[in-house]
Amino acid sequence: MSRKNGKITITIDNKSYKVRKNLTILQAAEQNNIYIPTLCAHKELSPHGGCRMCIVEVDGFRNFPTACTTPIEDGMIVRTHTTQVNTIRQEIIQLFMSEHPSSCLICDEKVECAEYLTTIHKAGVTTGCRYCANNGQCELQDVVEYLDVKEINYPIFYRNQRVEKEDPFYDRDYNLCILCGRCIRMCQEVRLANVLAFKFRGRNTIIGPAYDKTHLNSGCEFCGACVSVCPTGTLFEKARKWDGKPEREQISTCSFCGVGCQLRLLIKEDRVIGSLPLDDILVNHGQLCVKGRFCITEIVNGYKRLKAPYKLYRATNVIISWDEAIDIAVEKLQNCAPEKFGMLVSPNCTNEDLYVAQKFARVAMNSNHIDSSARLFYGEGINAYLNLLERAVSLSEARKADVILCIGLDTRYGRSVVGVELRWALKDGAKIITMNPRDHSIALLAEHWIRSRPGTETEILKQLNEIIAGKPNGKPTKYNDQKIWDLKSVAESLKHASKVAILIGSEFMQYSGSADLLLEIEKLAIRLNAGVLPLPAQNNFFGSILMGTYPEFLPGGFSSRNKEKTNDFSKLAGRNRSSFKWDWNIVAINSRDKLEVLYLMGEIPPGSTKNPAEFIISQNIYPSDDQFQADLVFPAAAFTESEGTFINGEGRIQKVNQAVNPPGKALPDWQILCKIAQRMGIAGFEFKSAAEIHAEIAKIIPQFSSFKKPGREARPLAVEGRFLIDKQQKSIPGASNRRDQLFLTTSLVEHSHRSIPLTSWVKGTTKIFSEGVLEISPQDAKKARIEDGDTVEVSSLNDKTEWPVKITPELSQGFLHVTVPQGNYSGPNPQKVRIRKKNV
Amino acid sequence: MISLLQRKEKALRQWESLIHNKIPVIYVGSATCGKAAGVMKLIDVIRDTLKLNELKAKIIEVGCIGPCYMEPLMDIKKPGYPRICYAGVTPEKARMIIEGFLIEDDPLLHLAVGHFATNGQNESLGIPHFFDLPMMKSQTRLVLRNCGFIDPENIDHYLANDGYQGLLKAFDVGHDEVIKQVKEAGLRGRGGAGFPTYKKWEICRNTSGKEKFMICNVSEGDPGAFMNRALIEGDPHCVLEGLLIAAYAIGADHGYIYINTDYVLAIQRLKIAVKQMQEYGLLGKNIQNSGFDFEVIIKEGAGAFVCGEETAQIACIEGKRGMPRSRPPFPAISGLFGKPTIINNVETLGTLPNILREGAEWYKHFGVEGNYGTKTFSLVGSIRRGGLIEVQLGIKLKQIVYDIGGGPWKAFKAVQTGGPSGGCLSEEFLDIPVEYESMQNAGSIMGSGGMIVMDEDTCVVDLALYFLDFTQKESCGKCSPCRVGTWQMVNILERIVKGDSEPDDLAQLQILAETCAKASLCGLGQTAPNPVLTTLRYFRSEYLAHVKEKYCKSAVCKELVYYEIIPDKCNGCKLCIDVCPTDAISGIKSEPHTIDLFRCIKCKACYEVCRYNPLAGNAIEFKSSKKMAVA
Repeated sequence: MSRKNGKITITIDNKSYKVRKNLTILQAAEQNNIYIPTLCAHKELSPHGGCRMCIVEVDGFRNFPTACTTPIEDGMIVRTHTTQVNTIRQEIIQLFMSEHPSSCLICDEKVECAEYLTTIHKAGVTTGCRYCANNGQCELQDVVEYLDVKEINYPIFYRNQRVEKEDPFYDRDYNLCILCGRCIRMCQEVRLANVLAFKFRGRNTIIGPAYDKTHLNSGCEFCGACVSVCPTGTLFEKARKWDGKPEREQISTCSFCGVGCQLRLLIKEDRVIGSLPLDDILVNHGQLCVKGRFCITEIVNGYKRLKAPYKLYRATNVIISWDEAIDIAVEKLQNCAPEKFGMLVSPNCTNEDLYVAQKFARVAMNSNHIDSSARLFYGEGINAYLNLLERAVSLSEARKADVILCIGLDTRYGRSVVGVELRWALKDGAKIITMNPRDHSIALLAEHWIRSRPGTETEILKQLNEIIAGKPNGKPTKYNDQKIWDLKSVAESLKHASKVAILIGSEFMQYSGSADLLLEIEKLAIRLNAGVLPLPAQNNFFGSILMGTYPEFLPGGFSSRNKEKTNDFSKLAGRNRSSFKWDWNIVAINSRDKLEVLYLMGEIPPGSTKNPAEFIISQNIYPSDDQFQADLVFPAAAFTESEGTFINGEGRIQKVNQAVNPPGKALPDWQILCKIAQRMGIAGFEFKSAAEIHAEIAKIIPQFSSFKKPGREARPLAVEGRFLIDKQQKSIPGASNRRDQLFLTTSLVEHSHRSIPLTSWVKGTTKIFSEGVLEISPQDAKKARIEDGDTVEVSSLNDKTEWPVKITPELSQGFLHVTVPQGNYSGPNPQKVRIRKKNV
Repeated sequence: MISLLQRKEKALRQWESLIHNKIPVIYVGSATCGKAAGVMKLIDVIRDTLKLNELKAKIIEVGCIGPCYMEPLMDIKKPGYPRICYAGVTPEKARMIIEGFLIEDDPLLHLAVGHFATNGQNESLGIPHFFDLPMMKSQTRLVLRNCGFIDPENIDHYLANDGYQGLLKAFDVGHDEVIKQVKEAGLRGRGGAGFPTYKKWEICRNTSGKEKFMICNVSEGDPGAFMNRALIEGDPHCVLEGLLIAAYAIGADHGYIYINTDYVLAIQRLKIAVKQMQEYGLLGKNIQNSGFDFEVIIKEGAGAFVCGEETAQIACIEGKRGMPRSRPPFPAISGLFGKPTIINNVETLGTLPNILREGAEWYKHFGVEGNYGTKTFSLVGSIRRGGLIEVQLGIKLKQIVYDIGGGPWKAFKAVQTGGPSGGCLSEEFLDIPVEYESMQNAGSIMGSGGMIVMDEDTCVVDLALYFLDFTQKESCGKCSPCRVGTWQMVNILERIVKGDSEPDDLAQLQILAETCAKASLCGLGQTAPNPVLTTLRYFRSEYLAHVKEKYCKSAVCKELVYYEIIPDKCNGCKLCIDVCPTDAISGIKSEPHTIDLFRCIKCKACYEVCRYNPLAGNAIEFKSSKKMAVA
């Protein structure tokens, strides 16, 4: 009976063990490598005690307690494998099997069938049935095998449930369900989403959303956490349904947004077949969003992935060898004047790729014409956004705040990991305030939902600032459209909080006057001494600034007008240059003289021009023929196929590991650039691996010290440089309360990877992200006699555009919204428009 | 604030004027059982009659007094007479009695069943005292003492009958003394399991925590049980007083009454009672200057059977799906919202005012060692005098069935206690005393009070199937032995009653029942096989007859039976032709009839009439042959 070190002694199967207190019998047994079969217990979930497989005998207990629910006591004597216990377990597993199609479990032919699977059959015989996608990875199979059950003494009951396939990303076959309740507990206890529940009683008990709603309509975030914990084949990803058991796993970082979740990539036959969350204590705590969970495999395995370089020859694409491709590129580049060269690089690339890219532009091409689409995404507010990034706190820090103010953030699909943290914060007693003109996932959690009229946000925040400062001026309720929020009580909540965090999403980023909006946020943050967590849409936006892939920035985030730093960089690069001109950026592509060579690294040129340059080199993972015509195409490796680092929105440097080989002849971005530079005879591009690039970056940025294990601490961005901004047109505030006016807001595609919208390569996402459609409130639609799917002509001051319509109750009356690919919109945002139904 | 004592004095004066009334008082038993028997119409008729004859009388709707078989009941207390009880009062009878008694002063004693004369009053009416009726004689009414006497919607009536004296006593003696008294009284949970009430309380009382909860369990779901409903409908304040005493003992400041939403009248009366308590300062802050704060919330449940289980009920009150969870931790340590919680049955709570008021010693006069006190039962089934009864523990089953209930209509076969969770006891167990242990040893349980008596017309296999089907449908689906096990048992039993069974089936049934009992998560699953286990044990021969000979002794299992008319015996009385609902029997008078098996739906009507009607020749027999029956 020793109680030293908080340990107690228990006896399991006649052997005594010293274990920690506060464990269940099952945990104590697992720690000491004693196997107790179980189907419903899961290490991340609370004990359920439903499957009854883990029953044990405990001295002094009346019945057979379940090991998963019974806490251990000092001196407890447990027997896990007595005859009686085993008999009961066998009986119970038979009961399970009487409900579960069981030929995968107890088929007489199982062994022989496997043996003759490869034989040539001349008659139509069935060999090696595959009726369950989970075959070989099924926990029920394991338990049946362990218990050595060979037959079922009961009649078999097939539930005859329809296989539910209508929702995207995963199928549900509740005929296979053993009602262990893991998915429900995951949804309710860990994700706090409460979508799933038990339905009906007795034999008809089944799992699903209440009132037989579809998952789409019941608030499901499609995070796939339920799929991960399902012990049977009931829930299964559509994308890897018949891929079987993965061979190995590789840890990596997700590249779909600035949260930077840690992943476990599942690999089979040199193919990434799935992605699961890593139980990471810093960022995602074992959670993922729909993008990280379901979209990675579909993106990296798409059938149209580029596998070889090709060139445009007489209006057709001709596959060529790497040698030829590089020769063509070198010839064009060598003959190109620095001011006639342009390069666009995607902020989705790794730091190493970005560093090499800017080095390529600045050293090999002697040009400062390098930019990225992030400039368009953040528009005029980009500098203010940088200011906010400097005040960034980590997510786990923000979650501890008393009041969390979310501005333009929606966590239903993208960034749902943040949504989980918000729900936990709410559970721990935090107040949530959200500002968003749309109905969104946080509205449900929020104490105050500032449902602003689009365009009035800056004014609202200004007033909020004034109220908090104690000198309100004007009428604060002027914009109180819905009568559901009151700025004064919002201010009260914020004032009385001891710790405030402000989370910033992408909703208002493309608004005209977003700079003012972000400045107001900054003022608010300073006034409240709040931690800010901007959540960039681009996973490596932080990195792209630090690597200097903008005309205004040098590696290290220094301003390219800083002479000393320019000298340092030039010295390192082996060139003599003391200044960089700021004469070009991405916006200029369409307005200036045509470039001679435009090098696109994971980017597409903005605007609708098909030929923004005389010669276009495109280096990407997918062809983008429908948007523009590239003259030379290099196949790049996706982030699962190369090595490198990303920096997430909190400022953590995170490792990307190579999971599989690139398809065909595709190469990592940096390798292609190095090959060209070497062929051009430029020194300084003799990198053998990403690690070497990383080491060179470390000379400028000391945090980049270790490539193998980057320091993952959250470090707010602190850079010297700032963007040069052309002020756009002033916004026309949607403050008018006249109901007959319509205002159109536009936003850029947020969910994209290397300029490829996820919706174009992941079929399921078309159901959850509405892009390229005009969203309209039901009231307005009714007024204009528009139905879902109709085509509508939207006329603004400048132009007329046609879009298909989607009616959504998320929008309030008087507002329209459309998500467009980058560069495809003009005019102020929001802007007053008229709509007209097109006659078919 | 008017003190409770002052209110009591006022209430007593009121009560006295009611007893020594100047105008007649008409008591109508109008609990749900009465309403089902047509009391609502009866009350209208009484009012009309009074109005028509310009009579003055006070009508009081009281709760159920017990003998449901006599419903509707109407009592009249006229000055100069004791209160006289009339049974089976149809509207016509009511009119007759009122006109006869109130106008012509003739109590119509041939229609009366008993009187309620207290000592010294005129007892020479020629009818027995109500409590000397055979059904009432062996009963001891402690919990039900007010049911049928007071107006449940009038708190003054309750106060006048020693109401809330137990609570005041509890406030006097203090928390620990209350628990001590309950311990001395030996009160055990009346919900069925018989766990000593004080033990739970002590654990909860000793658990640290500022917030504690007290829950009153009115989730009465057994088929054929209604004692809890009747108690609340007849005397809601008694339960609420008990709730307050219990809450005071454990130090809870919030109480829930979990009640099935289909108990409409009970909920209505509870709500009225709670409102009255608030008016009288019996709820809220600092109740009667005791420093004790208490609030009651009435939580209506959707009526799932499993929600009678403690942990499932807690989940339900928390707003979750009513599913049980594994214990430990026990609710007394971590229950509602994770706080220490005590759940007591209605009857347990209803007993508390008596114990506190009269003391533990007094309470120990009732019942036997280890099983003190009384227990209410709803006596139903094939019984001559069914109804709500309260007996001292230790009474023999035989006494309940024969002395109180008057025996079954036909030959006794079995008695089922504890509803679907209980067991089916055969004739040999009639001599066992009604005690927690003895019932358990016999394979049944005391249960919350359902008692179903069966005669020879009941087939035990069919009975087991009925109960199993009930539990199967009510299983919450959480644990596999209960969800699938009960269903597989239903499967096997269905095979047996359909005559499709195989010899192994009984062994398989036994194994399954034992697995289910041993491995299920909660009480529902653990006790679900009891009907099967007990019938297998005590009526094995009947099972064997079903399995081997495909024969159902009671002719209940229709697929095992066919009817035959013995030509030699048939006297051609045509009685069977008259009763046959499907015209399956044909024949001419005085000549043997024939039965068309294709048309026959085996309703047994012809058999009954042929056997029991003196004109008939007892010529119809049922025979068993699987083949014939199917044909």
